[in-house]
Amino acid sequence: MSTILEVKNLNITYKNKKKNVYAVKDVSFTINKGDSLGLVGESGSGKSTLATALLRLHPKHSTVITGKANFMGKDLISISEKELLDLRWNELAVVFQKSMNSLSPVHRIGEQIEDIYRVHKPKATKKEISDRASYLMSLVNLSNRVYNLYPHELSGGMLQRVSIAISLLHNPKLLILDEATTALDVVTQGQILDEILKMEKEMDMTRIMITHDMSVVSSSCNKVAIMYAGELMEVGCVEDIIPNPKHPYTQGLLSSFPSLKGEKKELRGIPGYLPDLSIKHEGCIFATRCKDVMDICRKIKPVKKIVDNKQEVSCHLYGGDD
Amino acid sequence: MDNNTYIDIKNISMWYPVNSGLKSIGKEKKWIKAVDDITIGIERGEVLGVIGESGCGKSTLGRVLVRLENPTSGDVLIDGQSTKNLIKNDYKAFRRLVQIVFQNPYDSFTPRDTIEKILMRPLRIHDIGKSDADRNTIIKEALEASGLRPAEDIMSRYPHQLSGGQLQRISILRSMLLEPKFIIADEPVSMLDVSVRADIISMLLRLSKENNASVVFISHDISLTRYISNKIAVMYLGKIVEYGDSEVVVNEPKHPYTQVLLSNCASIDPNERMNKLSVEGEPPTPINPGPGCYFAPRCFKAVEQCFNKYPDNIVLENGHYVACDRYNK
Amino acid sequence: MESNLNNKLKKTYKIITSDKQLTAGIIGLLIVLTVIIFAPSLSTHDPNFYGTNVLSGLGENGHLLGTNKMGQDIYSMIIFGTRTSVQVAVISALISGVLGILIGGIAGFFGGKIDQFVSELINVFMMLPTFFLILLIIALFGNSITNVMIVIGITTWPSNAKLMRAQALSIRERTFVKAATAMGESKREILFKYIIPNGIFPVIANTTIGMSNAILTEASLSFLGLGDPNIISWGQMIYEGKSYITSAWWISAFAGVAIILTVIVFYLLGDGLNHVLNPKHANGREA
Repeated sequence: MSTILEVKNLNITYKNKKKNVYAVKDVSFTINKGDSLGLVGESGSGKSTLATALLRLHPKHSTVITGKANFMGKDLISISEKELLDLRWNELAVVFQKSMNSLSPVHRIGEQIEDIYRVHKPKATKKEISDRASYLMSLVNLSNRVYNLYPHELSGGMLQRVSIAISLLHNPKLLILDEATTALDVVTQGQILDEILKMEKEMDMTRIMITHDMSVVSSSCNKVAIMYAGELMEVGCVEDIIPNPKHPYTQGLLSSFPSLKGEKKELRGIPGYLPDLSIKHEGCIFATRCKDVMDICRKIKPVKKIVDNKQEVSCHLYGGDD
Repeated sequence: MDNNTYIDIKNISMWYPVNSGLKSIGKEKKWIKAVDDITIGIERGEVLGVIGESGCGKSTLGRVLVRLENPTSGDVLIDGQSTKNLIKNDYKAFRRLVQIVFQNPYDSFTPRDTIEKILMRPLRIHDIGKSDADRNTIIKEALEASGLRPAEDIMSRYPHQLSGGQLQRISILRSMLLEPKFIIADEPVSMLDVSVRADIISMLLRLSKENNASVVFISHDISLTRYISNKIAVMYLGKIVEYGDSEVVVNEPKHPYTQVLLSNCASIDPNERMNKLSVEGEPPTPINPGPGCYFAPRCFKAVEQCFNKYPDNIVLENGHYVACDRYNK
Repeated sequence: MESNLNNKLKKTYKIITSDKQLTAGIIGLLIVLTVIIFAPSLSTHDPNFYGTNVLSGLGENGHLLGTNKMGQDIYSMIIFGTRTSVQVAVISALISGVLGILIGGIAGFFGGKIDQFVSELINVFMMLPTFFLILLIIALFGNSITNVMIVIGITTWPSNAKLMRAQALSIRERTFVKAATAMGESKREILFKYIIPNGIFPVIANTTIGMSNAILTEASLSFLGLGDPNIISWGQMIYEGKSYITSAWWISAFAGVAIILTVIVFYLLGDGLNHVLNPKHANGREA
C-alpha cells in the first residue's frame, strides 16, 4: 500500500485587517494509491478550503497555511513555485463544481484542450492532443464532435464531463473532485459517477471526492473523512462508518438524509448553528450542537482515537481525553 | 375529480414562442412547451410532490400556479372558485390565497431593508392587524414561535447578517402570515445544509397544517419528496408521466422514465447497490415535441406504436395513473 | 437606537477612508462646501462692487488676486463663483438624475413596448451632439442661469437612464422582486421600493461625474458669450478676461484654476464612489 498523499497537522487561516478565520484546524489524514476518499462536510466545514490549499490556489498575502502535505515525496505546502507548477495538472488535478464557468466561452473546446495540454508538453502535436482527448472523452461518454463545439452549445452535464476529461489529460496520480456533480441532475450525476468509477479502474487513479452528499460517497468511495467547522471528526472506511457511525456529528449527518426505500424513519437534523470560525474555541467544536455532550466536551478538545480497530474518531465518548 | 378536490388544476399549459416578431413570418411557429396540458387535483391539506429533472417544467409549473407568469391556457380552481376570475376581480385576495417559498433564501429579501420592514410589508398591503404596533406584535410572536429568538434582535437585522436556515424560516413565515390555502414550495431546502433541512421541512409542514393548506412540493431530491409528500407526480418535458401515492410511485414505479429516475438515485447504504437503468443522452428541450410519447426516443421499453400518438393516462389502482401505452390492456 | 446611528457613522467613516480617491474627493467636497457656506466671511470685498481700482495686479491695493476692468475683486469673485458652479452642478445633476432614473427604471422594469420606445429615444438622444443642442436652446430661449441648468439636465439624462435600465433589467429577475409580486405589491411599489433603491448606486457615481461635466459646460457656454452675464461665474470671468490675457492675465487664470480644481473634486468623488459601491463591497458594507 503506497501512500500517495499524507496530510499532517494542516492549518489554514484566512487573515485580513479585521480578523482571522480559522478555516482548517489541525487536519491529518493519509491516502493510499487507488483509494477514493470522500471528504464530507457542510458549509463552513473547510473541505473546499483544504482542497484548494493542496494546489496552493489561495491568495498568498491573506492565507496562512502551516503543516505538511506530502505528495509523492514533495511537501505541497512548502515547495517552490516552479516545482508546484510542474506538479499541477501533471500529477495533481482538480475538477470544480460548475466547471462550465471555467471554460472560455469564446474558444472551442478543442482549442482550450490544446492550450492546457501544451502547458506541460509544449511541443505536442495537434494529432497527439486530439487522440488523447478522444480517448478521454470516450471514457466519459462524450462524442468526438464535442471537440469542435463552443461551451454554450453543450449542456451542463456535458460540460462537467469535459472538465473531468480535461483534468485527466496528463494522467494525474491524484484527482480532486470538488462537488463536481452537485449542480447536476440525478440521472446525469449517476452516469458521471459510473464513468468515474470505470475510469478509475482503467487509469489506476487515486481520488478525493469533496461533497456534502453522503449518497455520492457511499456509492463511489471506499474511504470517508467527515469534517465540521474546520476539524476532522471521523475518518475511516465507508463500509465501517456508514452502517456504524461513531461520532455524534456523523450520526446526525446520516440521519439528515431521508431514505428512498424502506420504512420512513423520522427525519432529524442537527439543531443549532455553526460556531464563529474567527474565534478559537475551547473544548470540542461540536459541543454546542451535540446530543451526547458531556462536561468534559466543553473544556478539553478530544484527541483522535482508533475505535474498534476500524475508524479514527475525535470524540470524548471514545476516550478522547488522554 | 371527486368532492374532496380542493385545488383543481385544469389543463394548465405554458408555451413560449420561439422566434417571435418579424423573423417568424413565413416560418412554422415553434413553441417551447414548458408545461403542456397539466390536469391534477389536490385534496385539502395534501402535499403533492413534483419531481423530474431540469427541463421537465416543474419550476415553470410552480411559477404559473402562483401566477408569477400567466399560463397560456388553463385555469386553477380553488374550492370550486376560478383563480383566473379571482385575479381579475380581487387581485389581492388571490395573493393571500396562493403563496410561494423560493429556492434561494439568500436572495428572497431586498438587501436594503431590515427583517422588520420586510415582514411589515405583506401585513400592511393586506391590512392585517389594526395598527403598526399590532403588526409588530404579530411579527414578534410568529418569529418566536418558529424558534427565531430573540425576535427583536432578528427584526433589527439585515438579510446578509442571517444564515440560510434563518432566512428560509423567515421566508416561510412571510408567506404564512397571509394565511394562504395553497402553498408552492419550489426546492425550498436545496440550497441549505443537509443538517438544517429537517427543521425547515417540519416548519413548513406544521404551518401548512395549521392553515389546512395544500402544498405543492417541487424538488429534484426524490428521497426527500417521498418523505414529505402524500402523492407524487413525475414530470417529463412538460407533462405528467406518472401520478400516485408517494409510497407506490417510489416503490413500484410503472412509467419507464420513473424507473430510470429512481434507479439512478444513489442511496446512503453502501450495501444497497441499485441496478442503474441507463438512458441515452440528456432530455431535449421541449420544442414541438411529439407526435408520440415524449420519452419514446430514449425509452428502453419503446415499441413502434409509442411514436405514433401521445399515450393516454392509463389508470391503475387507487388513483395511480401512468401515461404509457405499454400498460394498455 | 443611538448605537445604531453610531454604528452607521463609524461604518461610513470606514468606508470613506478605505478608498484614496473617495477620501480625497470627500475632503475636497468639504472644502468646497466650506467656501460656499462661508463665502461672505471668506471674501475680502463685495464681488459685485465696482471699485475704483481697475485692473489692479496681484496684491495691489488690497486686492489679493487683483481686479478686473470693472474694479471687481477677483478673489472675492472666485469665492462667490463657487456657489454658482456648485448650484449649476447640483441642479442639473438632479434633473438629469431624476429623469434618467425614472425613465431608465420604467423602461427596464416594465420591458416590452415601453422599453423598446425608451431605448430608441435614448439612442436618438445619444446621437445628438449635446453641446450644440445646448447652444441652440440657449440661443432660442435665452441665457439665464436657470435655462442653462435645465438644458444641461435635459440633455444629459440618457447616460443615467442607460445605467438605471441595465440595473432594472437585472434586478427584476431577482428572487426578492418575484417574492414582492407574490406578496401582492403593485408594480409601482416594486419599482420605487425595490428596483430603484437597489439599482441606484452606479447612477449616483455617474451623476457625480456628470456634475463635473455640468460645471465645464456652464464654463464653456459663458466662455462663448452665451452664459448669464448677471451672475458671477468662473466661466464669465474667463470670458471677460479673454481680451486681457496678456495684460491682466489674472482675470481669467484663477477662474480657470478654480474650475479645474472643482472638476477634479467631483471626479474623485464619482470615481471613489464607483470603487466603494462596487457589488464586491455588497452595498458598501463589509463583504
